[in-house]
Amino acid sequence: MLVSMKWLRELVAVDLPVPELVDLLDMTGTKVEAVEVTGNALEGVVVGHILTKDRHPDAETLWVTTVDVGAAEPLQIVCGAQNFDAGDKVPVAVVGTTLPNGMTIKKAKLRGVASEGMNCSATELGVGGDASGLLILPADAPVGEPFSLYWDLADTVLELEITPNRPDCLSVAGVAREVGAVTGKPASWPGSTPDESGAPVAGSVTVRIDDPDLCPRYTARLIRGVKIGPSPEWLARKVASCGARSISNIVDITNYVMFELGQPLHAFDLATIAPGGGRADITVRTAKPGERLTTLDGAVRQLAEDTLLITDPTGPIALAGVMGGDATEVTDSTVDILLESACFDPASISRTSRRLGLFSEASQRFERGVDPNGCAAACDRAAQLIAQLGGGTVAPGIVDTYPEIVPPRKLALRMVRVNGILGADLDVGTVAGILTRLGLTVTTGSGDGDDGAVLSVTVPTFRPDLEREIDLIEEVVRVHGMENVPSTLPGGRGRIGGLIPQQRRRARAGAALRAAGLNEAITWSFSDPADVERIGWTFGPGELPVELLNPMSEEQALMRFTTLPGLVRAVANNQRKGVVDVHLYEIGSVWWTAEGRKLPKEREVLSGALAGSWDRPGWLDTEPMLDFFDGKGVLTSLMEAMGIERWRVHAADRAWLQAGRSAEVLVGGDVVGWLGEVHPKVLDAYEATGPVTVFELFAAPIIKAAREAQPFADIPRHPSVKVDMAIVVGEDIVAERVERAITSAGGTLLESVRLFDVYRGKGVEAGKKSLAFSLTYRGEDRTLTDEEVASAHDKVVRKVTAAVGGELRG
Amino acid sequence: MSIVDDLQQLRADAATAIAGAEDLAQLDVVRVAYLGKKGSLTSVLRGLGALSAEERPAVGKVSNEVRQALEAAIDLRRADLSSAALDARVLAEAVDVTLPGRRRAPGTSHLITRTVDEIVEIFTGLGYKVAEGPDVELDYYNFTALNTPADHPARTPSDTFYVRDLTGEATAVAGESDVLLRTQTSPVQVRTMESTKPPIYILSPGKVYRRDIADPSHLPQFTQIEGLVIDEGITFGDLKGTLEHVCREIFGPERKVRLRPHFFPFTEPSAEVDVSCGMCGGGGCRMCKGSGWLEILGCGMVDPNVFGYVGIDPERYSGFAFGMGAERIAALKYDIPDLRHFIESDMRFLRQF
Repeated sequence: MLVSMKWLRELVAVDLPVPELVDLLDMTGTKVEAVEVTGNALEGVVVGHILTKDRHPDAETLWVTTVDVGAAEPLQIVCGAQNFDAGDKVPVAVVGTTLPNGMTIKKAKLRGVASEGMNCSATELGVGGDASGLLILPADAPVGEPFSLYWDLADTVLELEITPNRPDCLSVAGVAREVGAVTGKPASWPGSTPDESGAPVAGSVTVRIDDPDLCPRYTARLIRGVKIGPSPEWLARKVASCGARSISNIVDITNYVMFELGQPLHAFDLATIAPGGGRADITVRTAKPGERLTTLDGAVRQLAEDTLLITDPTGPIALAGVMGGDATEVTDSTVDILLESACFDPASISRTSRRLGLFSEASQRFERGVDPNGCAAACDRAAQLIAQLGGGTVAPGIVDTYPEIVPPRKLALRMVRVNGILGADLDVGTVAGILTRLGLTVTTGSGDGDDGAVLSVTVPTFRPDLEREIDLIEEVVRVHGMENVPSTLPGGRGRIGGLIPQQRRRARAGAALRAAGLNEAITWSFSDPADVERIGWTFGPGELPVELLNPMSEEQALMRFTTLPGLVRAVANNQRKGVVDVHLYEIGSVWWTAEGRKLPKEREVLSGALAGSWDRPGWLDTEPMLDFFDGKGVLTSLMEAMGIERWRVHAADRAWLQAGRSAEVLVGGDVVGWLGEVHPKVLDAYEATGPVTVFELFAAPIIKAAREAQPFADIPRHPSVKVDMAIVVGEDIVAERVERAITSAGGTLLESVRLFDVYRGKGVEAGKKSLAFSLTYRGEDRTLTDEEVASAHDKVVRKVTAAVGGELRG
Repeated sequence: MSIVDDLQQLRADAATAIAGAEDLAQLDVVRVAYLGKKGSLTSVLRGLGALSAEERPAVGKVSNEVRQALEAAIDLRRADLSSAALDARVLAEAVDVTLPGRRRAPGTSHLITRTVDEIVEIFTGLGYKVAEGPDVELDYYNFTALNTPADHPARTPSDTFYVRDLTGEATAVAGESDVLLRTQTSPVQVRTMESTKPPIYILSPGKVYRRDIADPSHLPQFTQIEGLVIDEGITFGDLKGTLEHVCREIFGPERKVRLRPHFFPFTEPSAEVDVSCGMCGGGGCRMCKGSGWLEILGCGMVDPNVFGYVGIDPERYSGFAFGMGAERIAALKYDIPDLRHFIESDMRFLRQF
C-alpha cells in the first residue's frame, strides 16, 4: 500500500517528522517497507519559454521552436504538439533527462532539423492524463526553474506492509485513521453528497442478488450525460501517488475513491447493459456451466461454476470484484454510467482471482474484506466526483440491494484478562482511550476497579478482524506499545527441561562420526525418480516411493528413499570443483509408503561417504586412498562410541555397491544397514571418481542398542604373554571365522586376538592366504607359566586348524 | 727399570690413549687394552707374584693407584664422549618446526546443526524439552489446527508441496491431497498439545519445505526452530523477556531487541522480533537495508482458537509460540551471502564451521 504524505496530511494532522512517523507505524504493526521521496524523477525538466514557433520545412505537423530554458542560449526543439503559441511557458526536458515513461532525451534530428530537448505534455511527465498537447504553464512561471519545484511535485510516499487482518488500512483514509489512533490526532473520513437531478435511478436500473452469502450488498448509482476526458492534474497526481496510471477522468475517479476509501468501484457503460423490463437488469450470481466472458484485457475466460458474476439477461458482464467485461467497458463514447459499489465474499473473490491468475487492486481489497456498510458512501462520493469532473448529472436515489444488514459487533473486554494476558498493569482509562481512538465505542460495563471492570466494546464493521476479546487485547498492546510491556520470564513450576535419551544418543552418534573425521552434510530430502534405476534400488515388497504432486522440478519429484544419491552427488560436486578429499556424514530421514497409506514411513538414517584420502600432509608420507576399510573403521568408532559390542558385518551384495567390497551391517544379529564401495557404474552415472566408500544405517536400532555407560573392567595386574600364529587357509575362509575359532578355542586364558597380517604369494600356495594373528594370553589371578601358555596355545592351534581346515605356516 | 717405573710409564701411556679416544668405541678399546683381562696393567700385576714380600706392598699400592686413576680417567672421558654423542644425536634429529603437523582432522557439524544445537542449549537451560515430528504431515496439523483459513494462500499448491495420498479416499484440500511437506514445525506443537497436558515448554527444530526457487535468500528446504510454552499465567511479558534473552544469547549482549506488532493466524497478539544490526550497530547499512534492524523471528500469544483444536482450556492456560529460521540466523550471524551454500555440501564450506 502506497500512501502519499501530502494526501495523508489532508486527512490527519500529523506533525511528526517522517522518520518518527515511520518508527511509530513500524512499532504499532504497520510496517513501513520503504520511504520514497518523489518528484526528483523529473530532474532535468525545467520551465521553458517558447520564443519562436515556425513550421518544420519538411513536415506539416511538426513545429520548430526556440525555447529559453534560462541557459545562455535558447534551445532549438522540434515539437509535434499543436496546442501552443510562441510566448507560452511549457515544461521542457533537456538533453539527458529520463522521463517517468523511461524515455531518455537525446540530441536528435527530426526530419533533418536538429532538436535539443523536448517540450512535454502532462502525460509524459506523469502529472496528468492529458496527452493531447503540451502542458501550458501560467504566464508567470519562472523560466529555468526545475519543474518539480515549480509544480510542487516533491512528496514522500510510504510503502506500507498491510497485514492480511487489516483490510481497513488498504486506503489512505483508513491509514489516516490508524495514524490518528497511534498519534492521538483526529482524522477525518471524506464523504460527498451528490447533487441529484433528472429521472430517479429506480426507473432505469434493477439489481438482484442470487446468493447474499457471496454478495452481501450491491449499491449502484446512475450518472447521465458524462463526457469522458482527461483527469485534472490533482486527480492524476493522487492516483499516481498510489502507483496507478492516469487513464481518464472516469477510471481515475473510481481508482481515486478506491485508494481513498478502500471501496473498489466499477463503472459500466449503461447503454451496453441489456435491459429487462425496460431497465438495466443486473443479477449477481455464480456462473452456469459453459459460460464465458471476454474481460477488459481482451481475454476470453472460461468460467468455473462457482465464479461470482455480474450478469444481465444476456449473460455475464463482469467477474465480480476481479475484472470488468470488455463489452460493458466505459469508452470515449459512453454517455451514461452505471457505477457499482458492492461487497463480495473474500473467499469467492480469492478463488476466482487465483484460478484465473488475475490480481487487481480491487480483487486484493475484496479478498481481505470490504466494509459492507461503506459501499453506499463510496458510491455517493464517486458519483458526485463524476458529475463534477465529467460534466454529468447524478440520477436521484441509489440502488441498494442489502438483504441482511451487517450490524456492528459487540464484545466484552475484561480488564483482568487484558492485564493477565499482557503481563501489564493498564487502567480502564488507557484501554478505553486506545479503543476509542481506533474508532470503537467503549462503555464501561459491570465490575469495579481496573481489574474487575468489564468493558462493553462496539466494533464497527470496517474492522472485521476484531471478533473476540483477544483481538481487542491485541489492539491494546499494539497501540500501547509492546516496548512498554515489562519483560519477564515464565515462572512455571512443573517443568523439566533437557534432551531425552534418544536425542542425546543421536547427538553422540554425530559426535563419534565427527571424531572419526567426517563432516556433516545436509542434502536434499528430495530424490530424482531416475535415481531408482541409476543405483538399482529395489523397494521392499509392497513398498513405494513417496511422490510429490507439485515438485519444484522432475529431478526432485520424490522424497528420498536413501541418502546415497545425495551423498554421491555431493562427492561428485566436490570433485568437480577440485576438492578430492571428501568425508561426509548425514543424519536425516528417508521415506517409503505403500498402497493404502496416508502418511508414509519416515525413518532416520546415519550415512556417510568417503573419497580421496584422510589428509594430505604430502611432505611426510603419502596417504592411501580411502576404501572399504576406512568406512568400516568409521563404523567401528561409531559403534564403540555408542557402546555397542554386538555388531558385525558380513559380505552381502547391494546393486549400488561393488560386489566383493560390500557388506551388510548387523547389530545384535539384525541387519541395520550396509557399507561398501560404490559400484563403478553408479559412479559413472553421477560423474564421481572412485573409490567412494559409503554406508547407511538405520538410526533407530543403533540408538536403541546404545548403552549409556560401560561397566568398569579391571586393569590387569599380571603380565601377559604374546604368541603369534600364522595360519594358511582357503580364500573362501573369512578372517572373522578364523578369529572366532581362535576365540572359542582359547578359553579363559586367551585375553585377545588381533589380526595383523594377510599374506598371499611366495610360500603360500595359490588360492590360499596366510592370516597372521597375535594372541595375548593372561591369567586373571596369576602370572602364567611357560608351560601353561604353551599348552593353551597348542590347543588353539589344534582346534583352529581342524575347524577351518587350515595349517600352521612354518 | 723397576716395576714401579713400568707402572708409571703405563699410566702415562694410558692417559694419552684415553685422551686420544675419539668416541666411546675407541675408549672401550683403550679400556680393554689397559684394564682388560689381557690388558697391560693386568699383565704387570701378574708379574707381582715374582716380587719379594718386601717389595710387594709398595708395588701393589702403586698399581692400585694406577688402576684407580685410569678408571677415573676413563669414566671422565666416557662422560665427555657420551655427552658429545648425545649432542651430536640431538643435532642430527633437529627438524624444521614450521613443517605442517600430522593429524587426522576431526570432522565438523553442519553450520545449521550447530546453530540449532546452540539454540537448543539456550532453551534447555530455560527448562524446555525438544519435540520432534515427521516432515511429511497432514494438512490438519500443518494448517487447520493452527487456525489457518481454508482459502489461505499458503495452502495453495503454488506455496506448499503436496504428497500423493495412497489411501484412495476422496481428498478435499487443494483439490488433491491432504498430505503435505510441513511448511513449519508447528505441527509438532499441535501433536504435543494433543498428547501432553500443560505445562508444556518445548522447542521444535526441524526441516520444513516451501515451494520457493532456490536463490541467495530462499531454499525450498530449510530449517525452522519453533517454541511453545503453555502454562498457567503465561503473559506477553514472558514472551518478550524470553525472546530478548534468547536473541542476546545468540547474537551478543550488546544487541538491542524489539518486538513489532504483526499478524499470524495462530497467535494473538502477534509480533515480529528485530535485532539491532550487527554490522552498523543500528545506524542503517546494506545488511539491514538501512533500517538498523534485522528481522529474525515471529512470535505471539497462542490464539485461543488453537487451544480449541487441542482441547486446552484457554481461560485456565495461556501460552506463547515463536519461530525462527536457522538458515537466516546463521546467515546473519556469519554474514553468509547465499543460502545455497547450506545445501551444496562443499567441503570448503563445511570445514569452516
